[in-house]
Amino acid sequence: MRDGREDEARLRARFSRRLVLFGGVQAGLVGVLAHRLHALQILEGENYKLLSDSNRISMLPLAPTRGRIFDRAGQVLAANRDELVVQIIPDRAGDVGEVLTRLQTFLPIDDREIARVIDRARRQSRILPIALDAKLDWETLARINVAAPALPGVETEIRKRRVYAGGEDLGHILGYVGAIEEFRAGQDPALRLPGMKEGKSGVEAGLETTLRGKGGQVRHEVNARGQVVRQIARREATDGADVTLSINSALQARVMRHVARYKRASAVVMDVHTGEILAMASAPSFDPAEIVDGVSDKAWHAIESNPAKPLLNRAVQGQYPPGSTFKMVTALAALDAGLITTKERLRCSGSYEVANHKFGCWNRGGHGRVNLHRALRESCDVYFYRIAERVGMEKLAETARRFGFGEMPESGLAGEKPGIVPNQAWKLFTFERPWVPGETLLSGIGQGYVLATPLQLAVMTARLARGRLVTPTIRKIDRETHQPAAPLGYDETWLQTIRKAMFAVVNQRGGTGHRAALGWPGVHVAGKTGTSQVAKASRARRNRDLPFHLRDHSLFVGYAPYRNPKYAVAAIVDHGGGGGEAAAPLTRAIMQTVLSDPVASGRGRATTRSDQQARNAAVVSRRVVRQRRRARRRRNRR
Amino acid sequence: MSVTSVDAVDARSFAGRLWAVSWPLVLVVCAVAAVGTAMLYSVAGGSFEPWAARHATRFVAGLAMVFVVASLPLRFWLALAYPFYAAVLALLVWVAVDGTQIGGATRWLSLGGVSFQPSELAKVSIVLALARYYQWLPHDEFQSPAYVLMPLLLLAAPAALVLSQPDLGTAALLLAAGGTMIFLAGIGWWYIVAACAICASAAPFAWSLLHGYQKERVLTFLDPERDPLGLGYQIMQSKIALGSGGFSGKGYMRGTQSQLDFLPEKHTDFVFTIIGEELGLIGTLSVLALYATVLLLILLIALRCRSHAARLLASGAAATLFFHLFVNAGMVMGVLPVVGAPLPLISYGGTSMFAAMALIGLAMCAHVHRRDVIDPRTVNPLI
Repeated sequence: MRDGREDEARLRARFSRRLVLFGGVQAGLVGVLAHRLHALQILEGENYKLLSDSNRISMLPLAPTRGRIFDRAGQVLAANRDELVVQIIPDRAGDVGEVLTRLQTFLPIDDREIARVIDRARRQSRILPIALDAKLDWETLARINVAAPALPGVETEIRKRRVYAGGEDLGHILGYVGAIEEFRAGQDPALRLPGMKEGKSGVEAGLETTLRGKGGQVRHEVNARGQVVRQIARREATDGADVTLSINSALQARVMRHVARYKRASAVVMDVHTGEILAMASAPSFDPAEIVDGVSDKAWHAIESNPAKPLLNRAVQGQYPPGSTFKMVTALAALDAGLITTKERLRCSGSYEVANHKFGCWNRGGHGRVNLHRALRESCDVYFYRIAERVGMEKLAETARRFGFGEMPESGLAGEKPGIVPNQAWKLFTFERPWVPGETLLSGIGQGYVLATPLQLAVMTARLARGRLVTPTIRKIDRETHQPAAPLGYDETWLQTIRKAMFAVVNQRGGTGHRAALGWPGVHVAGKTGTSQVAKASRARRNRDLPFHLRDHSLFVGYAPYRNPKYAVAAIVDHGGGGGEAAAPLTRAIMQTVLSDPVASGRGRATTRSDQQARNAAVVSRRVVRQRRRARRRRNRR
Repeated sequence: MSVTSVDAVDARSFAGRLWAVSWPLVLVVCAVAAVGTAMLYSVAGGSFEPWAARHATRFVAGLAMVFVVASLPLRFWLALAYPFYAAVLALLVWVAVDGTQIGGATRWLSLGGVSFQPSELAKVSIVLALARYYQWLPHDEFQSPAYVLMPLLLLAAPAALVLSQPDLGTAALLLAAGGTMIFLAGIGWWYIVAACAICASAAPFAWSLLHGYQKERVLTFLDPERDPLGLGYQIMQSKIALGSGGFSGKGYMRGTQSQLDFLPEKHTDFVFTIIGEELGLIGTLSVLALYATVLLLILLIALRCRSHAARLLASGAAATLFFHLFVNAGMVMGVLPVVGAPLPLISYGGTSMFAAMALIGLAMCAHVHRRDVIDPRTVNPLI
């Protein structure tokens, strides 16, 4: 056997020899690279420099024009206005400071602005233009263009600015555009242009892809001094598409006026056939024109620190416990599962006990023995605790989701919230605690973990009224091609039972929502009140004695006309107290406005009989009101 | 064999072994990565997004990996060599069956939300596997044909899979680095001469196997003006960018060719041209010098190692890095055809960064454990 150590030494020596050889080869090849670099960059350098200069093709992205936004009547709500801008390309300017100083004779720019531009030029690529902060008119623009040879790198440009109609009435719906904050690789290069904006909220953000369009590109051949020699290719930008909203802006303005009577409130008016959102109001609101113009830090701070959150669109972003407006869902779940009949009466003694915990009814004295109709009409909590207990949370949650709760409405508005439909798995995932039976009871009356937005409540109401899976949209729907939504999948007799009870809520003695009644002959609202608790219920204190931010929210959902449903309304008055107190009269005011609008949902002339009927009723009732008022005045004078 | 030295190595604490890394190498590697980050910042038009920030983050993570790899014993990595090789081979098969197609070639794989190129990992696995093989092979078997064929098969399997993606560049790089290792390991000159002869005679046959676009690339390389608006365009523009930089360049962030989007892959394979355009000959030669220092330091490590495996690990790492540098730089200056080869530590790319840092880590491990002697019998040949 050979000596391992000797072997090892020989192997190492051979490795070392070969490694040195390999090192030499590497050195040689790196030398080849260095030689080649020398040839390219020094010997032929001038040649390539010429090629590079003459070959300098500047590729400029072309910005698409943002699509306009119209209301359903064809009125412009958001459009673009030309704005003149002056900008400088540092690479072509050479000495930026000097060129800007020369520019001062044409334009009022101060030294601070010059310092800002110089600093900016140092930090970003020198071929990207920097916009100057200066107001420009056509005359100055012409003078700058004439003096162009003395102002290398200075360019004037016509940019589009977004203008909005409607002010605060449409703020939440339209939203506003702002500068693009982050540019991600792979995005349309036109987005890098200084003037490009993107939607930040509302429809502007929700329908961004439709409104934005696609950037184009122009390739210029540029000489060494940066002057354009010729245009090589041009691909025009594809402008963004115009969008027509489902909003009726005249109606919107009036609904907004009703809602703005309250400190914080919101309402949604929906066409129950198409799911079109005809009006959507949230108070307080903001004027997008003020924000899009570039808002001062102070003004922005005022908006942001306002406790009423004017930027929050309560109608789609406010999540509230639906309270008793949720009872229709509980009732339908029980009817559908066959766990209750319309005749069966359950006893309400003012409270119901489960697992040593007492769940109270709003009526401490109890409702006695009530059937479904009465339970809904008088909003008996105990009745719904008991049927929710029978139905169980899973079935209840499934029914709630069928009505659009717990999922994004996807109406086209940005920032929608999905609300919450709790169930056992959800609670385990969120709180890592098991479901407690009492929580099913609370969910049955729309309290506990259940959360919904006003838009979702309007969707629920529309689905109840029509028995179809109406989906909400902020875009106008072509009635010619519109297909009715798929059926909801519940027995029509059960739906009819619930509708009758909703009619009773508003129009019968003992109904909690009588203040929503129109008071018009032949036209009726069907609906449901809701009160969602903010603070833990306490017997000792009445709601109005609580501080404002702890008072109950007042909710109401309803549709009209009862016999031939056309419109669904959901209204929430934050901290407004009981559903019958604030939200019901608000809904009545909104319904009266909607029903007396001849073109509420844009069918042109009112042709159907019930439309005619409704309007006649409105005229009659207005006449009656006027007469009464006159009579009162006369009486007072006496 | 001196047992004491082995004991002495093992006696060092973890921190002691961390401290024993080659600090000059760490320094130079950091310098190269810093150049890369700066250039990616420039390519993005003066922005850390989308490339520079992630590049720097990956490098820092990679550096941490270098220290970990270096401080664990060589034996540990050699034991992992074959399982890792098998895993990479499996990934390559997976890519062939179900990979993501980007730009006509299927090179990407998505695992748990992370997409990467298994072909980059193959570079590391080859180096490890060959080192492991020659550590195990008894000295008197080095020249017997069967044991010469084995490493060739070890090399051919991943290379063939990568070639089928199709990725001619990476396959060639694998073969070059692996071939160098086999040569350094000590096989006879006759085998080498024979291999060259076989390659030369098989060239026409190989040409017929190439894909149309690969043939195009080679032809375009031979005559760039053949197709100035298509494939030749890249080479022409890249040469213009490099050449127009001149001696001192157009200035950082002032490259017109690169900033104006002339080069489609300026942040990955063509990043060297931006160095040339913006920093001139001074920049390109400095980068070459930095790389040369990295390679020299690793080769010196290889010379000082006691175990054959450590030597091969270090020299394999050096060979892989060198061939990448040569092919990439050669490609952008029109010396070699356009094949996909990133510039290690400078080109943007997660898997490529990982592979480069893993190789540097292995070289560093060889340095830290250069006095270790590994008894072939203690490493189970089956794992």
